[in-house]
Amino acid sequence: MSLFVQALVTGLLMGGVYAAYSSGFSLIFGVMNIVNIFHGELIMIGAFSTYWMFSLYNIDPFLALPVSIVSVGVIGYIVQRVLINRVVEAPPMISYLCTFGVHLILSNLALLLWSADFRTVTTSYSGVGFGVGPITIPIARLVTFLIAIATTYGLYLFLEKARFGKAIRAASQDKEMARLLGIDIKKVYALTFGLGAAITGLAGGLLSTYFVIYPQMGLPYTIIAFCVVVLGGMGYIPGALLGGLLLGILQSLTATYLNSGLSVAITFILLFIILIAKPQGIVGKGIVE
Amino acid sequence: MRIKNWAGPVIFFALLFVPLLSPEGYYYRTLCMIFLWVGLASAWNLTSGFTGYIDFGAVGYFGIGNYATALFMTRANVPFFLSIVISGILSGLIAIFIGRYTMKLRGAYFGIATLAFAEAAKQIVLEFDRTFKVRFFEGSHGITLPIAHNEVFFYYTFLVAVSTVVFLVFVINRSKFGYALKAIKEAEDSAELAGINTRRYKVSVYSLTAFLIGIFGGINAYWSTYISPLDVFSVLHTINMIIMALFGGTGTVMGPVVGAFVLSVANEVIGSRLLYTWLLTLGVILLVVVVFLPRGITGSLSLKRFKR
Repeated sequence: MSLFVQALVTGLLMGGVYAAYSSGFSLIFGVMNIVNIFHGELIMIGAFSTYWMFSLYNIDPFLALPVSIVSVGVIGYIVQRVLINRVVEAPPMISYLCTFGVHLILSNLALLLWSADFRTVTTSYSGVGFGVGPITIPIARLVTFLIAIATTYGLYLFLEKARFGKAIRAASQDKEMARLLGIDIKKVYALTFGLGAAITGLAGGLLSTYFVIYPQMGLPYTIIAFCVVVLGGMGYIPGALLGGLLLGILQSLTATYLNSGLSVAITFILLFIILIAKPQGIVGKGIVE
Repeated sequence: MRIKNWAGPVIFFALLFVPLLSPEGYYYRTLCMIFLWVGLASAWNLTSGFTGYIDFGAVGYFGIGNYATALFMTRANVPFFLSIVISGILSGLIAIFIGRYTMKLRGAYFGIATLAFAEAAKQIVLEFDRTFKVRFFEGSHGITLPIAHNEVFFYYTFLVAVSTVVFLVFVINRSKFGYALKAIKEAEDSAELAGINTRRYKVSVYSLTAFLIGIFGGINAYWSTYISPLDVFSVLHTINMIIMALFGGTGTVMGPVVGAFVLSVANEVIGSRLLYTWLLTLGVILLVVVVFLPRGITGSLSLKRFKR
């Protein structure tokens, strides 16, 4: 029984991590209809920002988070402004080949600069957890979990209430009308991409405290983000949280009772089934082409 | 146009006589590599280039072809040519099943679903033995095939296979089937209204592509004599097919041929020297092509002539 509860808790916390790095992906897709293949590289750069702050200047990873947020946010803004804005009106195939090109460039540039070494950020609280009965809860993952929930909720509120958030939603709902009403679409796109990237950078910074990081880590993260966002509904922000938690629990249960390699297979089979049976996500609020 | 129609057979006949020059083993390997990529990119183009449904999981059928041939040859002693044909048919049948569901999806959703299929196939081959405590796919150890034939054998096998694929694309391009596929790309809903059973066409061409890729997978298994899931199911293969077809120009007959030829030669010449920056260079090439030459090299070159 305690094995089951431990698997459930581990899965829930893991799901929080998934949700943290998937909401930006969902935002970018929802607004621009772009499947961002270099999403994993944004996570990688966020993680490396904290890593370098920690190893060069000995700054605590949690205090270095603003560096991750700003650096990744700026990269996202620039890529959208210089590159993706040129192809955003083109057929979707062109835009995702474009993000794929950026994926190749960023991951290989990181490989050249930082070598293929596996790195970790080892702090005094790394791997430390507290026990509740027979269950162990790792502190760093709990904090990530809480921040993931706060970020997703914050993003949701921002889109609902803030003036700029409303402009983003207008641009995603009816591009032509928003343009007629005087919204500068390309500027909104660039800022949205920057915002989505910044959230992703934050998640990257957080997960550097308990995962191994390396330049080529991106693609698997992108694929998991796909899966999470499809589960919850593409472009529906609270869906990222729901999808993340669900996938986390499912993977943790398979890894506990079957084997961990198979949990990846199950992820993809689930993704495949959801796409075919319910492409608008489990709560049915996602965008369908 | 007339020159283009002559070019194919002339190149084919010229290539038939290459072994008379008795080139070194290295040149055989390079030529076989080029044939493999021309074949894969052309087969990928048949579905994705013509219909506009971008398949991100094409490597799934390559892996299935590799494994089917390896298993038939090592476990059941099936002769090589029979093995590759069965592997192709098996890939095609699996594609009918997968395509019936994925072909309902559009745009990015189709891409993600096919990617999920290929990754799931890889993980299953990788983990099957460990999970069910059997020895079948051999997991990450991979399978070693018998070494039997010489370079000339593989040279002609690849040459015949690749010529067949290119000729098939050439025929389809001018057939009613080809027009239906292009109609799906231009305006699927209108095509459906015009009485084209778009779903049947999409699944047929998807299955045909899988059949061809499966055969190339089978040849690859025997040619490389050792296969492992991480290698033959690598997402990088799909990416190569996409970039090659796009570089040359999708939805045309010669585009993927030119793209695959140029990029495999570039990979051989530059890639071996710039081991660490090759993928980076590929990324830059991709961005330049996508943003500045979205019709590929052949498309952009012929743009002037065909402009109405």
